[in-house]
Amino acid sequence: MIALQDTMATVTQQRVRGRPAHPSGPTFLTYTPNGKQLVTAGSNNVVRVYETGSDGEPTNLDDCQENNTAIAATNDFFLAGSEDGTVCMYSLDTFTYEKMLTRCTLPIRDIALSPDGQWVAVASDELEVKVVNIADTYRVLYLRGLPKPAKHLSYDPSGTYIAASCTDGIVYLYSLSTEEPEIVRKIDGLIRTLETESELSSRAVWHPDGRAFAAPTAPRDIQVVSSGDGERQRAFSGGHMGDVTALAWSPNGALLITAASDRKILLWDTKTQKVLARYDYPNVINMAWHPHENIVSFVTSDGELFIYQTFLQPDALPLLEKTLQPAPFIRDPLAETSGNSRKPLTNGVKHSADPRARRRGTPDSLDDILGPDLGGDEDDFVSDDDGAGYLGEINGFGKRSNGHLDAIDGFDRKRRATHQSFQPTIHHSFQPGSTPWRGNRKYLCLNLTGFVWTVDQDTHHTVTVEFYDREFHRDFHFTDPYFYDKACLSENGTLFSCPPANGTPAMVFYRPHETWTARADWRTQLPAGEDVTSISLSDSFIVVTTSADYVRVFTLYGTPFRVYRQKSSPSVTCASWRDYILTMGNGPVGGAGSTKLLYTIENIKRDEICQSEDIVALTEGAKVKSVFFSDNGDPCIYDSTGVLLVLQHWRTPGQARWVPVLDTKQLERLATGKKEETYWPVAVAQEKFHCIILKGEDQYPYFPKPLLSEFDFEIPCSTSAPPEDPQNPTALEGPKLEESFVRSSLLLSLLEDLVTSTNATHTQRTELSRREIEADKVLLQLLNVECREGEERGMKALEIVGLMRDRSGKMVDAAGKVAGRYGRTLLQEKIAELAERRLMGTEDEE
Amino acid sequence: MALPLPPGLTPPETAFLCEMEMVTVIPRQRLEGLNLLGGPTPPLHPPHRTPLPFWLALLLKRQRRANILPPPWLSPPSLSSILDLEKKTPSFSPPPPLPAHTTTSPPFLPSATADAPPDALPYHWLELGEMLLEAASDDIPEPDNVRRLMRDLREVRMAKMRAGVNVLEGGREVNLNGVGGMEVSEGRAFIGGVVDGLRKIGASKEMSRREREAEERENGIGGGDEEEDEDDGMDT
Repeated sequence: MIALQDTMATVTQQRVRGRPAHPSGPTFLTYTPNGKQLVTAGSNNVVRVYETGSDGEPTNLDDCQENNTAIAATNDFFLAGSEDGTVCMYSLDTFTYEKMLTRCTLPIRDIALSPDGQWVAVASDELEVKVVNIADTYRVLYLRGLPKPAKHLSYDPSGTYIAASCTDGIVYLYSLSTEEPEIVRKIDGLIRTLETESELSSRAVWHPDGRAFAAPTAPRDIQVVSSGDGERQRAFSGGHMGDVTALAWSPNGALLITAASDRKILLWDTKTQKVLARYDYPNVINMAWHPHENIVSFVTSDGELFIYQTFLQPDALPLLEKTLQPAPFIRDPLAETSGNSRKPLTNGVKHSADPRARRRGTPDSLDDILGPDLGGDEDDFVSDDDGAGYLGEINGFGKRSNGHLDAIDGFDRKRRATHQSFQPTIHHSFQPGSTPWRGNRKYLCLNLTGFVWTVDQDTHHTVTVEFYDREFHRDFHFTDPYFYDKACLSENGTLFSCPPANGTPAMVFYRPHETWTARADWRTQLPAGEDVTSISLSDSFIVVTTSADYVRVFTLYGTPFRVYRQKSSPSVTCASWRDYILTMGNGPVGGAGSTKLLYTIENIKRDEICQSEDIVALTEGAKVKSVFFSDNGDPCIYDSTGVLLVLQHWRTPGQARWVPVLDTKQLERLATGKKEETYWPVAVAQEKFHCIILKGEDQYPYFPKPLLSEFDFEIPCSTSAPPEDPQNPTALEGPKLEESFVRSSLLLSLLEDLVTSTNATHTQRTELSRREIEADKVLLQLLNVECREGEERGMKALEIVGLMRDRSGKMVDAAGKVAGRYGRTLLQEKIAELAERRLMGTEDEE
Repeated sequence: MALPLPPGLTPPETAFLCEMEMVTVIPRQRLEGLNLLGGPTPPLHPPHRTPLPFWLALLLKRQRRANILPPPWLSPPSLSSILDLEKKTPSFSPPPPLPAHTTTSPPFLPSATADAPPDALPYHWLELGEMLLEAASDDIPEPDNVRRLMRDLREVRMAKMRAGVNVLEGGREVNLNGVGGMEVSEGRAFIGGVVDGLRKIGASKEMSRREREAEERENGIGGGDEEEDEDDGMDT
């Protein structure tokens, strides 16, 4: 076989002789996963099995059904579906009929074998797609909900999804991981509406990396769609002059071949989406790559079979020899190393192609016999959640390549946990309020002023800034040749930063919204080699943290004000409010093997440090999702466990502490357990948490612009389980009031800090005294509840009265009256005593 | 002076009353609080959600100064679950539960704000939904779907109301709990007509019965005469 290849390698674009396999009509072919045999079926009752590498006559199975419409094969058997509605199984050892798998009332249109070879999905002209277990044909799953029959089916490489190309022009994505298969996504406007008998194709073909599939579109392009979010990714366009009839990815995903009714077969490079070669073969209706050799076979509607040895010319051959290549994403979530996503581990296995040459396949090697599908979960790209990107290791045989022997990597990743020197996990830098790329868009900044988003146009970006307040500001839009990837938006202006590229250093750009001079925007370049890790913008200063661990503070009009090195590094993020800036960085390594996140708050103008290298209180393994100042200037964080925390007493050094003000996991709206949603933090203002509700598994908001939602604070005090007696609403009153007491005391103390440390306005002062009264009123209500409960709760009632801060004594008087109303005379007397002690100022102070 | 209008509220009047409902808006520009006859309105700060009377929200929406946040029940999942309920039970779907410690009645409850209960139709559902769909369809997710579901709901409920008329004849009553204001004013003409008709029929029967009794009394009742009398009654 190898000898044959070598002799033919010099022949360029040789004309392959067609072999008459079947009478003219729809013809189908498939390779067995080990590549040893090629099975073809057509409109007669013969199925032919060709041995790879032998030019001899094929083995014929003569007693099959007429008019076959689909074929699928494993190493041991193959399945043929026919127009009489049956799907039959034939052995490849003995070349005999084994059993009928299933029968439909209408013609079979497509069959797809699961990657493990245990299930077969059958599409017929019926509205249901059956998924039949091959060993036990009575075990059948049904894919329901199609409005019209499905034309094509394809299993994703991990076997958990089926893409059904329906004749209504929509691709339905079914998940098989649930008990009853369910539609997880509908992709509309992708494929054409084709009849089931049509020779044209609307097949969604999964890229071997399992994250995306490609499908022919109406304008004769091949569109790649990511399965995770249904977004359009790159397209292979401008190649065909006729409708696409067949397409197939090379086994490693680096190449794509397509055939169309313009009598051409095109070979595309996945990475660049360019045509590498054209082949003139008319009427091709099905194609298949050999699983690991440079052979492509295809059949025509005349029933001819072409086995194209040395299909790729030597210049394209290295592409086929690469390991698994990623699908062509516009913004590959794995290749992405912007502030939001995580960089690959410093000394982890590199994602790049394997540095050593791949071993060539040998005939009858273990790899050939086992086939590529035994490699297990090929959907590693999706489940690769620690970002190490080790998928490159799996070679065409579904096994680890020799990449792990690379000296840099040092260890087998499975053994690394015990053998490798200790490597702490660090908190990665992020820009608060921004999202990672999805498709070709991302939000650079989302806050209560407005939002900034950018669209990748390949050669440039276009940035749009929109405001919530449309009267006060005017939306604007500009073309961005610098590829800004971070932005901040405030009432006064917009701040952008871009990473260093092509020799130009990183740059910061500020554009004020209002100006009375001709030109007020400015840009400044950072020293070479320094990258921006995060930026923030307040009413008076601009803060930039950089990869060199510098904190650079500029005034609003571009005067560098301060530069200093951050004590905790690498730097994570920053936030600012008026003259205060908060910077976060990685501190010493904690017990859990990850670094402690430290923050520093300082007043830039007064040059005072409020909190120095204090710890951000996170539970083990949690990450900070966003950090921002509330509208009253209190630092807030939202962490990955869904808790919003506010920093109390942060103006006094050493006094700061993080107080949870809302646990989104305990929200009432989630109590039914029906909703599955997460919250993407936006801001804290007017004592409310503003966020974007994300449904299902979404991690970040996307387009169209989502609505902001707001939730009141609710300090997690006690479990909000439904009371035993739902008829009695007063049972819940006590815990609610208690929560309300803790909350109002917290808000009071935050306001007190604000009022004492700033030149408070008159309204703030009246607000403060109003809040004091509010807090006492809550206590009074609590007292009311306790009194109602009974005489025996008197001790607690008295304690509650003791908690009142009340300076005038009116509240304690009122408390006495409440006790009197319920007839608790003893309590009333004790309250009166307390009031007297307070009045005399003899209450024992500690 | 006889008013040309039929008794009770006409549909436009009901719609007018509906505009007193509070809705939640997301302002798109700043506005100080207004001291209106109905009470002061809160100041508007985009993008903070603010409750406003529906009429003011509509005004601001038409001037593109605000977006109206549709109430949670005006969403396809909620409407379709209510529709399922309507189809299953012979009675109307129950109105939203009253919040604890309240003394107000439906028009003054927060039934159309963003925190309204999602699983029940409030008193003004029909007119509020229609007006929102007309004025703020771009703020409502899947407006066509919502419109279709509203139509379905309306038809199902109207059918129920008409079916309820059948039992009126026996002098029994129909339970109209959960029926909206607009449905009442729309159904008033029909049900009023039916009840009136029934009353007239009943009245003529009654009249004849009385006449007969009077006749009987005049004739000085005789046991055997009864049949004859009845025949007389029938002739008249």
